[in-house]
Amino acid sequence: MIRNYLKTAWRNLVQNKTTSFISMAGLAVGICSFLLLATYLTNELRYDRFNTNAGRISRLTFSYKSADDKEVNTTALTPTAPVPVFKQQLADIEDGVRVVNYSNMRAAVVQFGDKLFKEKKMLVADASFFKIFTFKFLSGNPATALANSTSIVLTASTAEKYFGDEDAMGKILKVDQKNSMIVTGVIEDVPEYSQIKFDMMGSYAMMPRSLNLAWSSSNDYSYILLKPGANREAVAKQMTDYINKDRPASGGKMWFGLEPLTRVHLYSTAGKGLEPSGNIKYVYILGFVAIVLLVLACVNFLNLVTARSAERAKEIGVRKVMGAMRGQLFVQFIAEAGIITLFSLIAGVLLLSALLPVFSNFTGQQLSLQTWNPEWLILALVTLFVVVTLLAGTYPSLYLSAFKPIVTLKGGSSMQAGGNMLRKSLVVFQFVVSVFFIISTIIAGNQLRYIQSLNTGINRDQVLVLDLGGMGYNQIESFKGEIGQQTGVLGSTASYDSPVNVGGGYSINTAEGKNADFNLSVTAIPVEKSFTKTLGIKLIAGNDLDLGDEQQVMDTSADKRRYSFILNEAAVKGMGWKPEQAIGKKIGLNGRMGTIKAVAKDFNFASLHEEITPIVMFPEYDWFGKLLVKTSGKNTANTIAAIASKWHKFYPNSPFEYHFLDQEFDAMYKTDQRTGGILTAFTVVTILISCLGLFGLAVFSTRQRIKEIGIRKVLGAGVASIAGLISFDFIKLVLIAIVISSPLAWFAMNKWLQDFAFRVSIQWWVFVLAGGMAALIAFLTVGYQSIKAALSNPVKSLRSE
Amino acid sequence: MLSLQHISKYYQVGGNKNFVVNDISLDVDEGEFVSIMGPSGSGKSTLLNIIGMLDEPNDGYHYFVNQPVHQLKEKQRAALYKQYIGFVFQAYHLIDELTVYENIETPLIYQDVKGSERKAMVADMLDRFQIVGKKDLFPAQLSGGQQQLVGIARALIAKPKLLLADEPTGNLNSKQGEEIMELFRKLNKEDGVTIIQVTHSEKNAEYGSRIINLLDGRVESSRKF
Repeated sequence: MIRNYLKTAWRNLVQNKTTSFISMAGLAVGICSFLLLATYLTNELRYDRFNTNAGRISRLTFSYKSADDKEVNTTALTPTAPVPVFKQQLADIEDGVRVVNYSNMRAAVVQFGDKLFKEKKMLVADASFFKIFTFKFLSGNPATALANSTSIVLTASTAEKYFGDEDAMGKILKVDQKNSMIVTGVIEDVPEYSQIKFDMMGSYAMMPRSLNLAWSSSNDYSYILLKPGANREAVAKQMTDYINKDRPASGGKMWFGLEPLTRVHLYSTAGKGLEPSGNIKYVYILGFVAIVLLVLACVNFLNLVTARSAERAKEIGVRKVMGAMRGQLFVQFIAEAGIITLFSLIAGVLLLSALLPVFSNFTGQQLSLQTWNPEWLILALVTLFVVVTLLAGTYPSLYLSAFKPIVTLKGGSSMQAGGNMLRKSLVVFQFVVSVFFIISTIIAGNQLRYIQSLNTGINRDQVLVLDLGGMGYNQIESFKGEIGQQTGVLGSTASYDSPVNVGGGYSINTAEGKNADFNLSVTAIPVEKSFTKTLGIKLIAGNDLDLGDEQQVMDTSADKRRYSFILNEAAVKGMGWKPEQAIGKKIGLNGRMGTIKAVAKDFNFASLHEEITPIVMFPEYDWFGKLLVKTSGKNTANTIAAIASKWHKFYPNSPFEYHFLDQEFDAMYKTDQRTGGILTAFTVVTILISCLGLFGLAVFSTRQRIKEIGIRKVLGAGVASIAGLISFDFIKLVLIAIVISSPLAWFAMNKWLQDFAFRVSIQWWVFVLAGGMAALIAFLTVGYQSIKAALSNPVKSLRSE
Repeated sequence: MLSLQHISKYYQVGGNKNFVVNDISLDVDEGEFVSIMGPSGSGKSTLLNIIGMLDEPNDGYHYFVNQPVHQLKEKQRAALYKQYIGFVFQAYHLIDELTVYENIETPLIYQDVKGSERKAMVADMLDRFQIVGKKDLFPAQLSGGQQQLVGIARALIAKPKLLLADEPTGNLNSKQGEEIMELFRKLNKEDGVTIIQVTHSEKNAEYGSRIINLLDGRVESSRKF
């Protein structure tokens, strides 16, 4: 019996090539999209779970709020003391490790023989690192690999970069020209889905600060391994109690938190971590998109099958007359749906494996079929097969198998009322989704363009960023002098950090006219005199830093040293002053005493997701990580070549590397842009699938109305009026969809925009544009069918038998 | 073999009942060959459909091989139908996607006949109707007469006791029609199949052993030969 069903199903498919192709293509695209997103989400969700101890590891966060702060500051950076102290004091802690991003500010310069590389991913960690985290050792002993201050562990590809095929163990690498490190282990490359990524891992003992246990200066990432069964919250509370008891904060509050390792990537709100984190919101959004796409494809399939019911009606009638029971017919149609699903699934998986590399590229994630656990993939495919077959096949099967043979065999219309409403609702549903996506894509695009074009108060245009490999003041000055003479270089300035994403928590703890316990948390950045000029930061009061200010801080005797500060508007406001009042006021920034020399107009020194907070710029010369070179933008390649040749003259032992400030800025919105891109791609898919559905309904409905059309033609209706009549029926559905969709999209996108402190407002024209697009697309889809129906010969349609 | 008593079928139009079949009583014995005649709209096809259990009357009693059809549940009725009745249509109603062979085989599938047995039965039937050479063709590749032959073969494959034919020659030319009628006569005489046919043609009606004339849903006349 099954063979007979399959045979009929197969011949039906072959005979109706167009509709079969449309329904299979729609389903295949839907399945492929679903699997693409599922692969992406699987990757996001498997972050860090490869660690055997994943369930027991937490990342330590540190929160503080000084008396004059408006908000709590939470950071994932912690001081040196907590890990060793708590490990000793708290019974529930099994182990702990401090991890430092050694190459955070500037890449480590690593040398082996004549091989010289800048390493941007060098970490250092306590010896317990490889006991707590699970990284596979190819050689070396995890327990002792980081035991000495000279130990270094390399990943396989790093080892190959330096030593080729030779055994890396025991070889000596020179790091930053001062540390000789002995390779004590080689591990497999760190998986892309680890929040701790590195190419080389040194020992924490190499850091000078490892010698003292401090509770201030947060620069380490700390991970705690709890004993089995220990309560995370309780341990965090013990830590907080401990610090508040022994080190009462002056008027402020501080506390510790423990984030489960597996939640850090998607849920952490503790600011900058070792790696840029994902966002659980996007996981939900994309998960929702995946399911919606799959449902859309099924709905589409369902619509197309019922649309073809007129052709199947006779067959159903005959089968019933020959003794087929409803149940048998139901099974037959489900089997047909199953065959189409199977083909679509195969096509979808083929499409998936073809598109995964492209998608990986697009999303910046390493995605492949290997992202899946094989058993899970098979389970997912089988589930998908069953779910799609049932979802897409049940309704048509019930609908078709219920046909009354008498009605269908009399050759009359086989359409039974009732199904119509459902089909129309489904098309409305499809278009609600499409319009929703169109609106969302337009708004997301607007916001992303807005970020690009927003005047952030810093002129990022054509600014080159060079890593300064620990140069001194004089060296920097002469290098700047040299490159300043190159054509195309308009100016240059050194600073501690990149101006588009400044980290560094300081506080203003003394100030003229304020109480002794005054404390305002600020961001601060050591700069030099040309900083504001080179970056186009506007001053609204006071004068820019000059050579005198620089020389003042160079004074070797600490008590004669005087600082000149530039505060931004937000900082001045935080102090309770007007810009003009602030000039000349004496303040102290973590012990640096000096006066306010200028007030800068607010500029964005962090992600546009955040409001502009107080920032202080001050000259200080031991801490320059970056050199910013403003170029004219004309003949940039030549300019860069000229700078490079000067660099090699000054720093024969350090490779020349650069990037543009704009790139750095864009990188901060990678997640947003990625989501925007994904949204756009799937909007196209949604529209495509919805159009297939609408096309199906158009075919169905024109066939149903063929008699009406015939009569109208006999009565003298023209082609245009009939085509208009039919088209309008569908446009009506799209209009309904627009009305339903617009508020939903407005609500959702408003919510998304809340994440940006700097955002576009949602304009009414977005809805008009999206609606217009949907209506136009719908019209083009339906138009052909309408015109075809309008052109048909009434003699044919009115002949009854 | 079957007995209809006071069978009516009507449609409610506004407040009025619009009768298609109006209080018809009819008995058909095993081995009879009945022709039902009458003008368009006289209710012939509806009556045939009621006899064939494809349609349900609004009133009346319907007995088939001594079973009260009007009291049976859908499933029982279907079982009865499957076992005893074969249907032939004016428009042949073959399944376009199936070959001649498969079309003939289909009723057996629904009766859960085993594969090997099916093969033998279909081969027999193809032989008997001399269409072995056409067994792998699709309906669209056959002439009208050949299609109707397949239709009849299909109706007979499950060895029904009653063959119902709704204008079986309506779409055929006179020569093809004559052949079909000869076949019916032979089936009736030699195989003892009870046949009820609806026809417009006086000539075809005379192949039967009884002619019933319908007018406006009532039996106008009935004559036996």
